[in-house]
Amino acid sequence: MSELEFVDLSVKLGQRTLLDRVSLRVEPGEFVALIGPNGAGKTTLLKTALALRTPSSGSARIANADVSALDAKARAALIAWLPQHIRAEEPVTSLESVAAARYRFRESHADSRRAAARALERVAASQYAERRVTELSGGERQRVAFACLIAQEADILLFDEPANHLDPAQQLDIYRLLGELWREGRSILCINHDVNLLHRVGDAARLRVVGLRAGKLVFDAPFDAPALPDQIGKLFGVEMESVQGSEQRFIMPRSRSKS
Amino acid sequence: MKLRLALVILGCVLLLLAAVVVGPQLEGAQGQFIIWQLRVPRVLVGMWVGATLALVGAVFQALFQNPLATSDTVGTTAGATVGALFALALDSSRTVQGLPLVTVCAFAGALAGSLLVASFASSRTAHSSDVLLAGIAVTLATSALASGIQYISDSRALFAATQWSLGQLPQVGYRGVLLLTPLCALSCTLLLLLTRSLQAFALGEDLAHSQGVNVPRLRLLALALGSLGVASCVAWCGPIAFVGLVVPHLVRRLLGASYRLLLPMSLCVGATLLVTCDAFARLIVPGRELPVGIVTAALGAPTLVFLVARGRR
Repeated sequence: MSELEFVDLSVKLGQRTLLDRVSLRVEPGEFVALIGPNGAGKTTLLKTALALRTPSSGSARIANADVSALDAKARAALIAWLPQHIRAEEPVTSLESVAAARYRFRESHADSRRAAARALERVAASQYAERRVTELSGGERQRVAFACLIAQEADILLFDEPANHLDPAQQLDIYRLLGELWREGRSILCINHDVNLLHRVGDAARLRVVGLRAGKLVFDAPFDAPALPDQIGKLFGVEMESVQGSEQRFIMPRSRSKS
Repeated sequence: MKLRLALVILGCVLLLLAAVVVGPQLEGAQGQFIIWQLRVPRVLVGMWVGATLALVGAVFQALFQNPLATSDTVGTTAGATVGALFALALDSSRTVQGLPLVTVCAFAGALAGSLLVASFASSRTAHSSDVLLAGIAVTLATSALASGIQYISDSRALFAATQWSLGQLPQVGYRGVLLLTPLCALSCTLLLLLTRSLQAFALGEDLAHSQGVNVPRLRLLALALGSLGVASCVAWCGPIAFVGLVVPHLVRRLLGASYRLLLPMSLCVGATLLVTCDAFARLIVPGRELPVGIVTAALGAPTLVFLVARGRR
């Protein structure tokens, strides 16, 4: 098991600073939720962890090695992600595209397909295994990409708004799956807008929430910290309201903060 | 699917055999000579050229995730054209080591054009679309250069240049086959070995990267291998339009987009299509041979429109 660490990480794009000296550590087996306004640099942070973006200073490290120095297949064994937008240009079947996610394994195509079929079953997508990804709906495509992530069998999993554009039933399924993968021992760093959905992961007391705004780390708190609703409100510039549900408290934006 | 695959392969074999046989009635020793010394080597050259152009088209479309990508979009053909025009403007009858100067210069030009684009592609931060843009830039620049060469050429060289740019299978005999075979075979075989990494591109370049594909290295490798194969084809035949573009789309419609089928079958269908078009070019105007480039362009354009229109539904 390996930890993911961002060390004093800055990313610049021309004159703009996307990330400004961010330091963050995700311990092995930890679940960290990353929240923040649009354009805060959340996706950029995930991309530096995948060596898809080069830091202008500082580094993203896994098990103390700079990710950009890792061999591509070795990196794929350590870290995987579910991107926010999934392109599907080629009319390949779901099963084939999940089998392709087994790239890092030295195995026969038949073995890849078997692993892909298991992964699709796990995300309840077996019924469209033989359909082409170009013909799938957004939610179905999201499940296929989730199956790719499972099939890759990496230690650290990154999620970029996994419930984006999904209906409530699908959202529940996705967050339940996140919880399952976490309890299997994976470390998870997950971008999400609706913190209430995190209750559906289960074991909420062990979650950590990290707030990012304008490229800077603003807070880092346990999910059950009493001050969290206020911190989240401040992060987004809104007044939050707490609502007691049957088992847990939910928080809702009420109005924009006056300032 | 198995039945379809068998039918497509059977169709390819039948068409290839037919391409050797069809034509005016041939008898006696002269007929034997025409078939064995002229037609068979020409069909063999056509097979290599068609196979290479189609496979490279399929690989580039996969790699750049762009249905329009072919060897024409990454500077290979444009470079070859400049090389050929340069040689024709000098002297079309000159030879180097027994090879026509045109062929040698076209080959060198094709490699130079691709190299320019490839040097851009190897950069770690370059995205697929950047590489295609670089290809278009190189194509534009070389076509300016080509126009410049044409401007100072005499009318004889201009006529030869026009002939060259139509694209035709040359009468090169077994020597041409022997020269073409190792380069095309090397290029095609090694490209087919990239199937597994290309398959990971189905859901986008970034996902392929995170799944462990070394994207810059793969891009460079595919560009180098593809350019090598295409350069040797273009050097002998000139630019033959539409084979690299249409054949992969045709195979996708027939057999689906799994690269494990798409790549080898583009190879087979490409070989068959070019040879068939060439046979057609021999026969359509009695007593004259059309350049096969005219036939592929004339058939390729409507086929592409048809495929796209069908695909939309």
